[in-house]
Amino acid sequence: MRAGIVYTETVVHAAAERYAAEAPFQVAIVDLREGGRMTARITGDRVAIGDSVIEIENADSSPDAAPLFRKS
Amino acid sequence: MSHAARFAVEAAIVGAGKTAFGAFPDKDLRALAVEAGKKALADAKCGPADIQAFYLGNFAGPEFTGQSHLAPYISTALGMTGIPATRFENACASGGSAFFHAFIAVASGIYDCVMVLGVEKMTSQTTGRVTEILCGAGDWSGEMRAGSTFPSLFGMIARRHMHEFGTTREHLSAVAVKNHENGALNPDAQMRKVITLEQAMNGRPIAEPLNLYDCSLISDGAAAVILCAADRARRFSDKPISVLGIAQASDYVALDRKQDITTFPAVQLAGRNAYAMAGLGPNEIDFAELHDCFTIAELIAMEDLGFAGRGKAGFFTAEGGTRRNGAKPVNASGGLKSKGHPVGATGVAQLCDVVQQLRGEAGERQLRRNSVGLAQNLGGSGASCVVTILGQE
Repeated sequence: MRAGIVYTETVVHAAAERYAAEAPFQVAIVDLREGGRMTARITGDRVAIGDSVIEIENADSSPDAAPLFRKS
Repeated sequence: MSHAARFAVEAAIVGAGKTAFGAFPDKDLRALAVEAGKKALADAKCGPADIQAFYLGNFAGPEFTGQSHLAPYISTALGMTGIPATRFENACASGGSAFFHAFIAVASGIYDCVMVLGVEKMTSQTTGRVTEILCGAGDWSGEMRAGSTFPSLFGMIARRHMHEFGTTREHLSAVAVKNHENGALNPDAQMRKVITLEQAMNGRPIAEPLNLYDCSLISDGAAAVILCAADRARRFSDKPISVLGIAQASDYVALDRKQDITTFPAVQLAGRNAYAMAGLGPNEIDFAELHDCFTIAELIAMEDLGFAGRGKAGFFTAEGGTRRNGAKPVNASGGLKSKGHPVGATGVAQLCDVVQQLRGEAGERQLRRNSVGLAQNLGGSGASCVVTILGQE
């Protein structure tokens, strides 16, 4: 699984209609160890800029499912 | 060679008209557009037969209202049949983009007189649905799939700007307080309400660190200008307003494709090219209407356009530098924050507000130094930008 460092983050309180039931939730842009950046959903403990994060499997296997990371 | 030297003809704005901004359940998209268009025609003392082409700025009319094919839908309702009528879509920079392309046509000598109109009808949808439609201005395959919204993209930008430069929660709120102070004096503003710093800092959270008072409004509204060849301008107006410089630029749509999210290369590039065309620099701009879709966006625009040093705009704003009596007045209209933000109308409405100041017709909001004004219209999280510099003839 991918791993990286939090470049920036937010907690979304007012979500788009299709994600409204899940709010509030945290979203972060992650600098990946392998290079490049991605926007991911954060699960578990809240993260801050500079925190190490690691990808975990998303139980939702649909093509629309978001990449999911947690603090490592 | 300067940008300006490439154009055959100089262009001037000879008419401007806007609807009030707000929630108007009894006015549909076309009614709003026609109201603004008629006001602009009346202001220029001309009629539909004088207009040779119609440029529409609109972001998401089809999604908000179900109606597509909007340019001829509106131009014919204004009595302009037969002329080329085209819609421009560049998210929140749709209005500015329509104006940029209208300018190219007039400055090239193709048309003598054209209308640019921006419109958006947003309040017929729920806030959740509006938020989702606005997400279309970002990248659905990445950031939006992760649950981002526009407030959250700018929340992440604000977080990083705070981290790198020491920008504070108070700095962001100082933008909101100042824009509400101005908007309270604007009869056409959606939210004519003064707010305190304490209120602005403690709004309901929307996307941390941004709260309700950091976010622009969901609005209905329209704005229009008549642009014509400068040598004909006196036929229509006693106070034609010259287009001194204008440029449009683009960048990645996805925020996570950018190297540094605390600056917008498209704003820097459009600004640089508009300054070069005008032969002016940031110190020679008397006042500006900047795209404050979120408080942090006004601060970054100030830095990218050279009104404040990198990372310094928050400090400058908190010290009052952008108030009406400050060194560089920004958003004397109230900005998107207080005036309202009917997305496709915004870029054209900014031009109307700059024209009003340059003509000396801004009433209680009138600025003393009003020779040269700048409008900056931003699309998405920085993927489109139009910068326009206007001056008294």
